[in-house]
Amino acid sequence: MARKLFVLLLAICLVPAAFPVAPARAAEPLRIGALYPLSGSLALLGDESWRGAEIARQLRNKKGGVAGRQIEFVKVDIPDANAAKSETERLVSREGIKLLVGTYASSLCLTASEVAARAGVPYFEFGAISDQITARGYKTIYRTGSKAQSFAKVQVGFVKDYLAPRWKKKPSDIRLSLVHEDSAYGSSVARNCEAEAKAAGIPVVSIIPYSKDAVDLSSVILRLKSDKPDVVIAVSYANDAILLGRQAKELGLDLKAFIGTGGGHSLSSFDKALGPIAENVLNVDFTQYKVNPKFTPGLAEFVKLYKATFKEPPRSGHSLANFMGANVLFDILEKTGGSMDNDKIRPVALAMRVKQGETPTGWGVHFTEDGQNVLAEAFMMQWIKGELVTVWPSGPAVAKPSLGKPFSK
Amino acid sequence: MIELLVQVTVSGLLIGGVYALMSIGLTMVFGVVRIINFAHGEIMMLGMYMAFWLCTAYGLDPYLAALIVAPAMFLVGVGLQRAIIQPILNAPPLMKVFATVGLYIALQNLALMLFKADYRTIETPYSTATLVIHGISISLPRLYAFLLAIVLISVFYIALKYTLVGKAMRAVAENRQVAQLMGIRVNRLYMLAFGLGAALTGVAGALILPFSYVYPTIGSIYTLVAFVVVVLGGMGNMVGAFFGGLFIGLVESFSGTYISPAVKEATYFVIFILVLLVRPQGLFGRGKGSEEVGLK
Repeated sequence: MARKLFVLLLAICLVPAAFPVAPARAAEPLRIGALYPLSGSLALLGDESWRGAEIARQLRNKKGGVAGRQIEFVKVDIPDANAAKSETERLVSREGIKLLVGTYASSLCLTASEVAARAGVPYFEFGAISDQITARGYKTIYRTGSKAQSFAKVQVGFVKDYLAPRWKKKPSDIRLSLVHEDSAYGSSVARNCEAEAKAAGIPVVSIIPYSKDAVDLSSVILRLKSDKPDVVIAVSYANDAILLGRQAKELGLDLKAFIGTGGGHSLSSFDKALGPIAENVLNVDFTQYKVNPKFTPGLAEFVKLYKATFKEPPRSGHSLANFMGANVLFDILEKTGGSMDNDKIRPVALAMRVKQGETPTGWGVHFTEDGQNVLAEAFMMQWIKGELVTVWPSGPAVAKPSLGKPFSK
Repeated sequence: MIELLVQVTVSGLLIGGVYALMSIGLTMVFGVVRIINFAHGEIMMLGMYMAFWLCTAYGLDPYLAALIVAPAMFLVGVGLQRAIIQPILNAPPLMKVFATVGLYIALQNLALMLFKADYRTIETPYSTATLVIHGISISLPRLYAFLLAIVLISVFYIALKYTLVGKAMRAVAENRQVAQLMGIRVNRLYMLAFGLGAALTGVAGALILPFSYVYPTIGSIYTLVAFVVVVLGGMGNMVGAFFGGLFIGLVESFSGTYISPAVKEATYFVIFILVLLVRPQGLFGRGKGSEEVGLK
């Protein structure tokens, strides 16, 4: 018995020796860790985000890859902050991953990028918008998309420059309420909106945080009814956006304008669930699909590839933002000769310049010292007859904003 | 001011009715099988998906779909009881907890795999229908859910109290071994109870579908609320669960409107903890000791 065991152990030890790990060659694929929430309550947009990056990868590989090497994603599910921490640690320390991308959700990105930064591994964020992500002084974190501050700028700017003159009101006479889900994403946008509104001289009559997992939001609507705002700026994920819309209609909330902040208000399922109630709801977000094609070269090609790969049209603009971001990263890696070392990546990234209106999202590329791409701007959109149409500013716009009341049909 | 107060109360009662409706099945399982079923929300999620597919594929009204969901979920419940709960009935209580937690994770991920993470809703002409009386809005589908909760609770309360099967169930709940000695077929009753629990939960899912949405991970939210409602109402007590539901609904509505929506969950959990400290058997509990349901 003992002898058999010994032979068995010996065999186990010898097998790896007989098949040594292949030595690194030039043609070995570039392995990049891709962190997204693919299960749990953030799964829908997490998956949508991953799809965009995946299409960029496939496209680039078809064109010969980066610096002659194929790109490989090590796709990892991070449904919550705990998983984000442990999975990032695993990728960096055990899998030997030298570059990470992700993440869609701000709270997950904050955790994952923190772990990566401490290990000196560069982290490219394609989607999450919380300001904090690029405000922590790390030299290894880059964000290709917009940050919360630019969302707030567009929202308050639209109220002040477009709505106020048409309502024939001074900014100081407009009543603004902020409604936001209370995680990093919602709180971050709301704080920015408050600051922007203050700067624009628009009084904020109430700030109403709520939990995105709530099964009923009638108390939010009732609060709004007693505060009587003209315009509400809301920050919501998917299900809470639908719930807010439905209960606003049920309880007869009377508003002049309602402005969402991407997330749930951009989803096709928002419109599908609400139908005509969604008409006239405004929304600030990353570039979506009803946008001036001259301003977004390559967008039509992306949609075609998306449909061919996933057998359905894109579910939101998150995939497009990730597609753009992944392409920027691949361009950077091309210039570093495939090196994923931050010392090589950083000078290339900071020196990179692309004008607005030259990428599929219409964004330009200009990373500042903190790693933020300052030429990534959010646009104002509106649900008009079941489509999310870009309405403001005029560059990417394809229609004029409607002044009709939200939740009224 | 008064109008807002009335509206907050009405909204709270309507939320409470929904909570009561979705807790009936859990009460049934708690009260008879004496198992802490952490997969309760997932059973509800299954019922919602079932109703959803019936509605979209055959154009059925969700209220009609509930009539099909009920027997189907009954069979699912019986199957779960037979395959998972029955073999571990004599195992230590923690084992039972592990089993139902495992079931919850398995069902949730199965749903993610099969149905994808999309949020799905059905459109009915009455999804956002409201009755407006003196400026007070009452959501009709929520009102229906409220009324149906009362009907279902009354029916099951009377059945448990007066029918032979109901009496046998209560006997089993009191003491499984003695009931068995008295010639009651315990396993069969357990299957019936678990099946009925699943059927009621599935029906609740179908009934809230017109004003809610379904996605694979929705269950965990409902499980938590249902547990608070059931424990508050006195475990296994149907009427208690009804008032427990209304109570939570009102607390949620008032704290959400007058304090902040961000703290409404926190408020009812604080109240929940206080109740547990002062009256561990719940507001309508059967007396001392009944809080140990499922752990004995």
